[in-house]
Amino acid sequence: MKPVYQMENSGISFFFNPESVAVVGATEEPGKISNIILRSLLRAGFKGKVYPVNPRYSSVLGMECLPSIEAIPEKADIAVFAIPAPAVPNALKNAEGKIRGAIIVGGGFAETGEAGNALEKEVREIAARAGIRIIGPNCMGIFDTASKLDTFFIPEDRIQRPGKGGLSIISQSGSFAVTAMDELAADGIGVARVVSYGNKTDVDEADCLDFLADDSETKAVAAYIESVDDGRRFIEAASRCSANKPVMAVKVGKAGAGITAARSHTGAIAGRYEIYRAAFKKAGVIELDGYEEFLAACKAFGMQGRAKGNRVMIITDGGGVGVGLSDACHALGLDVAPLPEELSAKLKSELPPYFAIGNPLDLTGSATDESFALSLQKTMSGDHYDIAIIAALWGPPALTDNLPAMLAQKPGFTEKPILICTPGGEYSRQRFKLFREVGLPVFGTPEAAVRAASVLARGARRG
Amino acid sequence: MDTRAIEKIVKEALSLGRKNLVEPEAKAVIGHASIPVPAHRVVKDVADAIEAAKEINYPVALKVVSVDILHKSDAGGVALNIKDDKELEIRWSQMILEMADEMPLSVIEGFLVEEMAPSGTEVIIGGIRDEQFGPAVMFGLGGVAVELLKDVSFRLAPVTKEEAFAMMAEVKSFPLLTGYRGSTYKDLDAIANAIIKVGEILIQVSSIKELEINPLVVYERGAVAVDARAIIS
Repeated sequence: MKPVYQMENSGISFFFNPESVAVVGATEEPGKISNIILRSLLRAGFKGKVYPVNPRYSSVLGMECLPSIEAIPEKADIAVFAIPAPAVPNALKNAEGKIRGAIIVGGGFAETGEAGNALEKEVREIAARAGIRIIGPNCMGIFDTASKLDTFFIPEDRIQRPGKGGLSIISQSGSFAVTAMDELAADGIGVARVVSYGNKTDVDEADCLDFLADDSETKAVAAYIESVDDGRRFIEAASRCSANKPVMAVKVGKAGAGITAARSHTGAIAGRYEIYRAAFKKAGVIELDGYEEFLAACKAFGMQGRAKGNRVMIITDGGGVGVGLSDACHALGLDVAPLPEELSAKLKSELPPYFAIGNPLDLTGSATDESFALSLQKTMSGDHYDIAIIAALWGPPALTDNLPAMLAQKPGFTEKPILICTPGGEYSRQRFKLFREVGLPVFGTPEAAVRAASVLARGARRG
Repeated sequence: MDTRAIEKIVKEALSLGRKNLVEPEAKAVIGHASIPVPAHRVVKDVADAIEAAKEINYPVALKVVSVDILHKSDAGGVALNIKDDKELEIRWSQMILEMADEMPLSVIEGFLVEEMAPSGTEVIIGGIRDEQFGPAVMFGLGGVAVELLKDVSFRLAPVTKEEAFAMMAEVKSFPLLTGYRGSTYKDLDAIANAIIKVGEILIQVSSIKELEINPLVVYERGAVAVDARAIIS
C-alpha cells in the first residue's frame, strides 16, 4: 500500500525537461554506474547543467565535483542517486529544498525483503515530507531523446540507444526496457521517452501515462506491466492517454491465482489476467501478447500510425507468401477483402496480363519497382483497405534498391499504414535497412508482419 | 434499483454470522435490481409446499434452502418438473431421506417451491470484486462451455450496454444465442440488462463480494434467473 500524501506539485513533467541534473555518488572510476551515467549525459549532449556530487573528488570527467547536494548553487531539477541503498535516506534528507525529483537507480530496497522494505518506506516518507518526487528505486530511470537525459547505466557498447522517434516506453522492469531499447535501436525505430520505474515507490505507471497523455513528443505508448496497485487510477490515466494516442501494454505473470477460493464459478475462473484484460479494455489499451508482439507493436507504431479498420490489402511477388499472409490474417481476425469489381478491372487494364489480379495481388517473378508502386497506389487510394502488407521477395531480377523509397511515398493515401514482409536469406536481410531508412516497418516472416497489422487494427476501435 | 432493500438483506445475513446468501435471499437481491426471477415461496413443511405449488401453478421445482449447502443438486436437494400434489409429496420425502444421507449435519432452513421455468438457453453471469480494479462482471454460456472450456468474457463495472453486447459476442459459443443450427434468436437485451445490473449491484453494495446468476435462462423474449448465489462479508 502506498502512503496517502498530497504532493504540492503532482506532475512529473519536470523529469523530462530538466534544466539541471545532479549525479550523487559521481566517480572517475570507469564502469561504475555514476560514471556511465555522467558519460551518457556528456555523450548524448544533455543541454542543462550537470552537477557531479561526491565529497571524495574535486572534479569528475573534467567537471567541478561538489561535496554535497547542499553545495549546488540554487537548485537542481533532478538528482540521480547512484549510491548504496543504506546511504540514500540521509542523502535525500540533505537534498530537501534543493531538488524536485530523485531517480534512485540502485537496488537493495523492497525487492530484497523486510529490511529493504523498511528502508524504502523511510525513503518514501522523507521524500514526501521534502516534497521530492521519486522514480525507482531499483530502476534504470529515464532515457529521453528530447531532453537528452540518459540515466540507463549500461554502457553503449552493450546496449545501443535508439534514435529520436515518437514511441515512448514505460516499464516496471529495467532489463525489459533496456532489451527492448536495444532491439528497437537495431531495428532503426526511434523513441521519445523511455521510463523504467522499478519498485515504483512513488512514480508509477499511472503518473507516467498521465504525463505522456499530454506530451507532444510522444505519438504512441508501449507499457510493460507486472502489476498495478491502484487499478482505478491506472484506468483513468490510461483512458486519458489512449484518447489522445495509441496505448498498448503487455502484462506478464498471467498465471496468477484466482481471486478467491472457488466459492462461485466466477470466482474460480476469474484469474488476475482476466481482470487486467478487462481493465485494458475499459481504458482503451491494446493488449499485447508477450515479448514478440511487444516488439512487433513497437515497430508498427514506432513507424506507422493506427489503422482505421481491419481490411488488409496484400501485394506480393510470390504467390506462396501471399497465401501465407492471407491465412495469418484470417487467424487473427483481419479481413483480406476481395478487390472490388471496378478496381479489379482497372488493375487488369494497367498491369500485364500474367499478373494474378486479386487479393492477394500477385505480381509474380516479373514484378518491377513500378508495378509494386502502381498496385499500391491503385488499391490503397480509395476507401477499400485500411492496411497494406507488401511481401517483397527479392528473386525477381527487375526489383532494385529503389523499391523501398517508392513504396514509402504512399501516393494518394498518406494516412494508411504499410507493413513490409521480406522473408529470405542474406540478400533479403540486407534489404531490411533500406526499408527502415525510409520509415517502413519490415518483418522477416508473414506471421510477424500480420501480428503487427493486427496490433495496428486493434488500435482502431475502443471498447 | 432498490439499494436499501438489498443492503438490508445482506446486513441481516451478516448479523447472523453468515458468509453467503441462500438462494431465496440472492434472488431477492437481484429481484430488487429488476432482474426477473421465477415466482417462488419458502416453506417449512409439505402442507405449505402443496399450498404454495397450487398458488404458483404446477409444474414446480422443489429446492432445499440451507446455508451449509452450496451445491444443492450434488446433495440431492433439487427436484424439477413436479406435476401435482402427489408427486410433490413423494419427491419431498425422497429429498429428505437423500439429504439425511448426503448432508446429515447441514442445517435446513426450509424449502423453496418455485415456478418451473421453461427450458431455454442457459447463460451464466457472475460478479466479483477485485482488490485492485474493483467490481468486474463475467459472462459465459451455461454448462461445459464455462466449466471446462472457460469460454467467458470479463468487463469492469460499470458495464455499458455496448460493452455488455461486446461481452456476449466475444465468447466462442455466442452463435448458440443467435440461431445456431435452426435454434431461435435469443433476447440479447435481457442478457445485457442482467449483466449491467449485476455490475451495478456490486458497485452499490460493497458488502457483496461475489454474485452469480447460474443459470439465467434466456428465451426469444425475456430471461429468468433460475438460480443465484452471493458471497458476502
